[in-house]
Amino acid sequence: MIPKHHITGAIVLLIFAVAGVLAAHDFISMWTPDKIYPSAALTEKRRLSDYFSDLKGTNADTDVLIFQGDRPGATVMLLGGTHPNEPAAFIAATVIAENIVVNAGRVIIVPQACASGFTCTDPFEGYPQSYTLDTKSGPRRFRFGSRVASPLDSWPDPLIYTHYPSGQRLSGFESRNLNRSYPGRPNGTFSERTAYGIMEILRQEQVDVAFDLHEAAPEIPIINAIVYHEKGEDIALAAVLDLEMLGMSYAPELSPTNFHGLSHREWGDATDVIPFLMETSNPIQGRLRGQTNAELVIEGVSPEYKEALESGALRIVYTPTGEPLKHRVGRHLQGFQALLNSYNMYHEDNPVEIEGLPSHQEIMDNGLGNYLH
Amino acid sequence: MKKFFILAAIMTLLVPFRAALNAGEVEEAATGAVPEAAAKLEQPILISSAGQSADAKLVGMLTKRLKLNATTESMATAANLEGIKTLIIVPGYSSKGLGAAGVKPEDEAERVASLIKAAQGRNIPIVVVHVGGKARRGPQSDGFNRAAAEAACHMIVVSQGDEDHFFSDLAGEKKIPIELVEKIADTAEPLGKLF
Repeated sequence: MIPKHHITGAIVLLIFAVAGVLAAHDFISMWTPDKIYPSAALTEKRRLSDYFSDLKGTNADTDVLIFQGDRPGATVMLLGGTHPNEPAAFIAATVIAENIVVNAGRVIIVPQACASGFTCTDPFEGYPQSYTLDTKSGPRRFRFGSRVASPLDSWPDPLIYTHYPSGQRLSGFESRNLNRSYPGRPNGTFSERTAYGIMEILRQEQVDVAFDLHEAAPEIPIINAIVYHEKGEDIALAAVLDLEMLGMSYAPELSPTNFHGLSHREWGDATDVIPFLMETSNPIQGRLRGQTNAELVIEGVSPEYKEALESGALRIVYTPTGEPLKHRVGRHLQGFQALLNSYNMYHEDNPVEIEGLPSHQEIMDNGLGNYLH
Repeated sequence: MKKFFILAAIMTLLVPFRAALNAGEVEEAATGAVPEAAAKLEQPILISSAGQSADAKLVGMLTKRLKLNATTESMATAANLEGIKTLIIVPGYSSKGLGAAGVKPEDEAERVASLIKAAQGRNIPIVVVHVGGKARRGPQSDGFNRAAAEAACHMIVVSQGDEDHFFSDLAGEKKIPIELVEKIADTAEPLGKLF
């Protein structure tokens, strides 16, 4: 006769085993890469490991899409997905990659700079693992990842993360944050090596102007902003004025020289590139959000943020009707085009000429899916 | 009798003269402007930030487009006022800007107060241009906004930054002329007209 508690134990084990298998299946489903369909203007598809071979076979390796125009001109690099929990950055890079036509110069797009971060979500945040957008070819699923590289790729976190080479000290969690790891080093941590690989793109391709797309919580001070290295001040300010003529407000923010590890500082200090970083307001990243689900990613409607806005007690950037993904992607696209136009104004002898990208208004009118394969 | 008619004639002539004076006083009361404020301000101009937002540099760019003789010095001090005829202060707090400048908010407040005092001591008129909208309002910015606005002889404000009438109320209280515009680019016209 089997003891009753053995039967109970077996049943409990079986329940946990089934739960574990289901959870593992869910977790492993995040390892399936997102599909991106580059436009016909794609001239070369490379990998990050082509620039730094140590990344081959690791989760740091990621696609590098190169669009070369027929006429010579400047070289542009654009990063999406530095923080995979900032979907407008990744989707904006994807829209650009799937629509761009380059007439002069080159545009290099890395849609998922932190590929490792797309393989998991952040613990305790309750983030969805994916969201689905209706596109021209039907529903298309995109992963919603973590802010940082997966702990499976970089473990354990140190108690204190000391930035190389400045010696700046941050929380150990930031050792997995790509945007605290620049300029990186070839023999460093996982994120430092990823950062080094991206720096190698800048160096080997002799990039002239580079963009890093981001989002942030509505209560963060640097929001709906263009952060610029001092080399790009005139370009940034002229772009801000031009964007304002279109009815779009971007706060210009100078990159602090004493805050290390970020693209807008380190790219510009270590190479000749003129870097820009753009931020939009993303409610799902915020501390005040309520239900955290794919709908919040796409629609950006948070009654809690609306209440906070109406209270006047907080300084937040949130439109009462919401901050939908299409609006945030539209802001990135409009900002990118304005900055390129401004760059060309100051570099008439070496412009980059692109077309095929929708404006913010076109995305709002026609829907985001209309510009995704 | 003759003296009476002479006196009456003088009184009759005095009436329209007095009416003209009264009209001038009414107009002054309505606008809060004194005739001297309508006079053009002089160049060269120094543009300084109060709070270290990049808005000062935006205004600097606008003055370049207007071909005004202006220098932008975000961390301006009294020493920078040498030879300056007009000071433009562009208030607005930025944590990144303060970080870039390597100063704490209290140090920045002290610098701004010293600059304003120095300008006032040299009778240099101060124009406040607030272009940051809502992003440069709130508890961190309003200290700088108030310090600059209270010292201004003229204000140009993008209306998004005045939705709660912060600047308009201050202007009314201190009788400072204020112009509200819709966009940053719209500040160019009133700014140009000042010089």
